[in-house]
Amino acid sequence: MTRGRAVALFVAVAIASAAVGYALNRWWAGSSIAGREEPGAIAEAVFAARLTDLTGGVQTLAPWRGRVLVVNFWATWCAPCREEIPVFVRMQERYGGQGLQFVGIAIDHAGPVAEFAREFQINYPLLLGGLETLELVRRAGNRAGVLPHTLIIGRSGRVAASELGALKEPRLEALVEPLLRADPESNAR
Amino acid sequence: MGERGDHDLHRLIDQLSPPGTRRTQEKTGRMSLIMRFFLAALLTASAIAHGAEPQLLEPEKAFQFAARLKDARSIEVGYRIAPGYYLYRDKFRFSAAPEGVKLGAPRLPRGKMTRDEFFGEMETYRGDLTIVVPFELDGAGVPALTLTAVSQGCADVGVCYVPQEQKAELKLAALTAGATRGDAPFQLFAGAAPGDDRSIAALFASGFWLVVASFFGFGLLLSFTPCVLPMVPILSGVIVGGGAHVTRTRGFLLAAAYVLGMAIAYAIAGIAAALSGAMLSAALQNPWVLGGFAAVFVALALAMFGFYELQLPVALQSRIAEASGRIKGGHAASVFVMGVLSALIVGPCMAAPLAGALLYISQSGDVALGGAALFALALGMGAPLLAVGASAGALLPKAGPWMETVKRFFGVVLLGVAIYLVSPLAPAAVQMLAWGALLVVTAIYLRAIDPLPAHARGFEKLGKGIGVIALVAGIAFLIGALSGSRDLLQPLSGLRLGAGEAAAAPFEPVNNLAELEARVQAAAGRPVMLDFYADWCVSCKEMERYTFSDAGVRARMREMLLLQADVTANNAEQVALLRRFRLFGPPGIIFFDRAGREIEGLRVIGFQSADKFAALLDEVLSLR
Repeated sequence: MTRGRAVALFVAVAIASAAVGYALNRWWAGSSIAGREEPGAIAEAVFAARLTDLTGGVQTLAPWRGRVLVVNFWATWCAPCREEIPVFVRMQERYGGQGLQFVGIAIDHAGPVAEFAREFQINYPLLLGGLETLELVRRAGNRAGVLPHTLIIGRSGRVAASELGALKEPRLEALVEPLLRADPESNAR
Repeated sequence: MGERGDHDLHRLIDQLSPPGTRRTQEKTGRMSLIMRFFLAALLTASAIAHGAEPQLLEPEKAFQFAARLKDARSIEVGYRIAPGYYLYRDKFRFSAAPEGVKLGAPRLPRGKMTRDEFFGEMETYRGDLTIVVPFELDGAGVPALTLTAVSQGCADVGVCYVPQEQKAELKLAALTAGATRGDAPFQLFAGAAPGDDRSIAALFASGFWLVVASFFGFGLLLSFTPCVLPMVPILSGVIVGGGAHVTRTRGFLLAAAYVLGMAIAYAIAGIAAALSGAMLSAALQNPWVLGGFAAVFVALALAMFGFYELQLPVALQSRIAEASGRIKGGHAASVFVMGVLSALIVGPCMAAPLAGALLYISQSGDVALGGAALFALALGMGAPLLAVGASAGALLPKAGPWMETVKRFFGVVLLGVAIYLVSPLAPAAVQMLAWGALLVVTAIYLRAIDPLPAHARGFEKLGKGIGVIALVAGIAFLIGALSGSRDLLQPLSGLRLGAGEAAAAPFEPVNNLAELEARVQAAAGRPVMLDFYADWCVSCKEMERYTFSDAGVRARMREMLLLQADVTANNAEQVALLRRFRLFGPPGIIFFDRAGREIEGLRVIGFQSADKFAALLDEVLSLR
């Protein structure tokens, strides 16, 4: 083997292994990315989902279309979920007037949710979700189906952010403020 | 799915166990070791290119489940919990079908107590977990039983999984055969050795890449020890092959060939170590063996501190050096062979850390990790050589006494590994004392408490800064251990709790209506605050922690008679007490004015922040 050939072989092996590795990684990590759909479609699925309210009635999120919607999937038995609720309560109070709307969808029973809502003085609507809800969060990129999971939907009805884990106030503000500032007319089409 | 599915989901949540991830435990064919290693190596490349965004495992991978018949009366259930994930001890539920099978109380091992902001002390499991579930058969003729296990857990990154339901079908006919198999619990997972697709996915979430990256870092540091760094320029010359005019690209490629040869040799050593560890893994759980390993690590550490020298016999070293000297530099292939041979020359700076690395790998018994980690170590060691090749020496730091510091650093790391090794055996207090001692002594060596010279150089300041951090951390461990904390991650949490308890608001207990009335009457013109409390009441605990602890609130509370009704037991007297105030349960705080009459409009249900609560107390106090 000549020197030039040996060098070429090394380079080829290096490039090939990097490429294969990259592809494999994409393939493994990719299921979530591939499974993630177009943001408009997910938002539509969110608006269409039929959910139970705490009194047993059926509801959808359609009434809040056109507002900046923060949809929080949570449960009372989930410690990190409970952590972020006070942030939501504060922000609903502060930004509600500007068109921000929080909605909590609990993978839980009505009883504990109602109790919790009272205890934390939750000032935004709470609905109950089931298996379909888990399907929905999976479609939104939460492949493992974990809680808490928060979707932020802009006025134009597109998912602007999908966040796993408890949200901190500054992060949420940074996500929400540009959406609130966006002109509702120009977005609404 | 529809309603039926939701019904199932809620049934699971009911039991605090989760939705339909029914799966059967399939045995995955083992890839050949070589394949695994190559996958790992390839993945290394890709992960660097891709950036590792945290990937959450799917629940059935985060919490692998297996079950088998242990004997004629019990089922052994195993969970293999991925690193960074945990299961709650009190969330397990087991059921069995068909009808005739009766399960006894599952024997759950002690978990690790962790303090949860909201749920208080929670017992959690990490790593491998074995639960024994006794069972009885109602009459004979049951050919098989189906065990349904429900569990709930979370990931350290701060998300929780919905309760998981997992099923296993166990053939009772296999009883005799099954019972004779060994008793090591982890045999449940014999089919899921590292290297199958599942654990490769798990690698991303686990510490795999952290270990590999650390080994790269260690490799880089090793090249800065006194017996390596001064050799680099010479070595570089040898590789390039006697003074010929060489372009930088060519210099770099030759160096790369050399490093690759070395790295492959190291990777093979890593794989061998991991294999030997895997074969010995049962023995490695033995306290004496672990203790012995720890002692070896301490001995290796002492070598790094210069108490004595460890290296391959000099005669052997020089023979290898001779062999490699006969190979002419300048050719990619021959330089590659030189690299392989160089791995065999284990000098005095290298011997101890390398032995440590191999021991660590053999402990883990993880072949992919062993190969990848040692490969990374060699790449790290080779990095300066590559830098020399590419930059003709411009990028290399100057040799000097600072290299001794690097050597001692490895000594400290080896001591740390020794403590880590005995951590499954040693009580938490001993571990904390050991970590504390190690950190404090390291800090003193870093001159944490010596004054810096007036014109200290940047590195001296940095060293002192790190020393001070180590000193503070070490002192925290020592204080924590001595004050009764047993939590390695929060060594001072014992103090906080202690302080909280010592300063807890001085509530007097009341147990029934008569007692309450007597107390209120005896309040002597002071307002009375009656707090309903129960151990399970989350907001009560929040009140205690966030509101009652506030200085302003405490000052106001001192002017009142404080009564507390602990209704945890929920007995008849306590229920009567709750009824009297039309409460169904805690939380609830009731106030009485100075004349002993309940103040109707001012009761507090649920959590209230310190500000609001203080304002409310003012109102109570202002009433005449």
